[in-house]
Amino acid sequence: MYRKQVRRRRAVLALLIIGSFVLLTLTYGHKSGGLQRGVSTIFSPLQNVSDRALKPARDLVNWFDKTFDARGENGKLKTELAKARTEAVNSDVAISENAQLRKLLSLDREVVPSGYQEVTARVISRSPTVWQSSVTIGAGSGDGVSVDDPVISGDGLVGQVSAVTGGSAQVTLLTDHTSAVSAKVVPQGVQGVVKPEIGNPEDLTLAFIDSTRRVHRGESVVTAGWRSQGLSSLYPPNLPVGEVTHASILEQEAIQQVELRPFADLADLDLLQVLTGGSRG
Amino acid sequence: MIVTPKILARIVAIVIVAVLLQLSFFSRVTLFHVSPDILPALVVCFGLLGGTMTGVVTGFSIGFLVDCLLVEALGATSLVLLTTGYLAGMFRERFEIQSPLVPPLLCMGLTLFAELGFGAVQLMLGIGAPVSSMIVGDILLKSIYAFFLGWPIYLGVRRALRPALVEESALRRSDQSTAMGA
Repeated sequence: MYRKQVRRRRAVLALLIIGSFVLLTLTYGHKSGGLQRGVSTIFSPLQNVSDRALKPARDLVNWFDKTFDARGENGKLKTELAKARTEAVNSDVAISENAQLRKLLSLDREVVPSGYQEVTARVISRSPTVWQSSVTIGAGSGDGVSVDDPVISGDGLVGQVSAVTGGSAQVTLLTDHTSAVSAKVVPQGVQGVVKPEIGNPEDLTLAFIDSTRRVHRGESVVTAGWRSQGLSSLYPPNLPVGEVTHASILEQEAIQQVELRPFADLADLDLLQVLTGGSRG
Repeated sequence: MIVTPKILARIVAIVIVAVLLQLSFFSRVTLFHVSPDILPALVVCFGLLGGTMTGVVTGFSIGFLVDCLLVEALGATSLVLLTTGYLAGMFRERFEIQSPLVPPLLCMGLTLFAELGFGAVQLMLGIGAPVSSMIVGDILLKSIYAFFLGWPIYLGVRRALRPALVEESALRRSDQSTAMGA
């Protein structure tokens, strides 16, 4: 009797392990299957409700976390404040010039390129493991969202849509190991590829840059949005990505890369915008 | 564990609520920049209370649901969590839980195992970016969170499944108290 039980347990274990490998083989690399779409459609309303219901509790816990952080950063921020004041004056001048130029060029939006429609969606879930960096949003193909659409927050580029169902979509964040964004440093225009470092959400790398041109700390990085021989970047040009935080000459010459911090707070995402349509690149 | 339709309904409800809670709450709050992960701890609790079969099946189901809701490749999370459930079940079948510290300690240890397992599966599938050493700290912190969260999860699941627990029924019949002191 006991042996029979043990044999049955082992059979179930072997069956489920084989099942997992079969599922992995069948679904890895595919955007989304019918089964996932079905389950996701059933659970989307539940996720939306739980997301809204749990928001106050989430905000409370995150408030504690941010308060701890704020205490540590107080001294650092005081130093940065003095520097920021000087920069703010310069920025005001630039903003004033920019507003006039925009008026002249009839550009009515600041970040979103023309031809794109924005679909605003709330983050309804987030990947629990440290090895993946993706969120699920409460808008899907029914709202016009499709795979590879760029996703932004109020601060800058967040990632791209990697899978869609009827009412939800998976957004692969800039910090996911599969992410790679062609970008350029402004104003010099030095181009490279923004890659993440797994486990470090506040640090990105701009790799494959031209080692003969200098990039400096504090410079901004935006999407390059290239187009060549029928191929084009997934991202439109000039979406803000991040700010260069570390740019040693040695690293630039030896391994052709600089470090940057993303503008968007990728650890605390709530409302996002998907840029649908458009002509890419 | 004697799984009646009523108990099965309770297990399904616990699994669904826990997955929704994880994806909508725990994954989106950070303490010291790390989000707690209750799912490996939940699987450990099922394994400890119900044995290998319960641990393996709930681990697989939780992983499957997570992968479906996150629109990830199916099977990866299931593979790791079913192994976690199996190990917890094996512990239950081979050793007596004599100290109330055993469930949270197992939750901590097996959460560490699960996080390393997720890493191993990702390595198997291919990682296209360098891995920061900070990830070690993140994994350890997740395990510590599992220690503290494992305790209430164990008590909650045990309470919900009490009518089905074979050992407890026997203990109640002989009017003995358990090590957990409930």
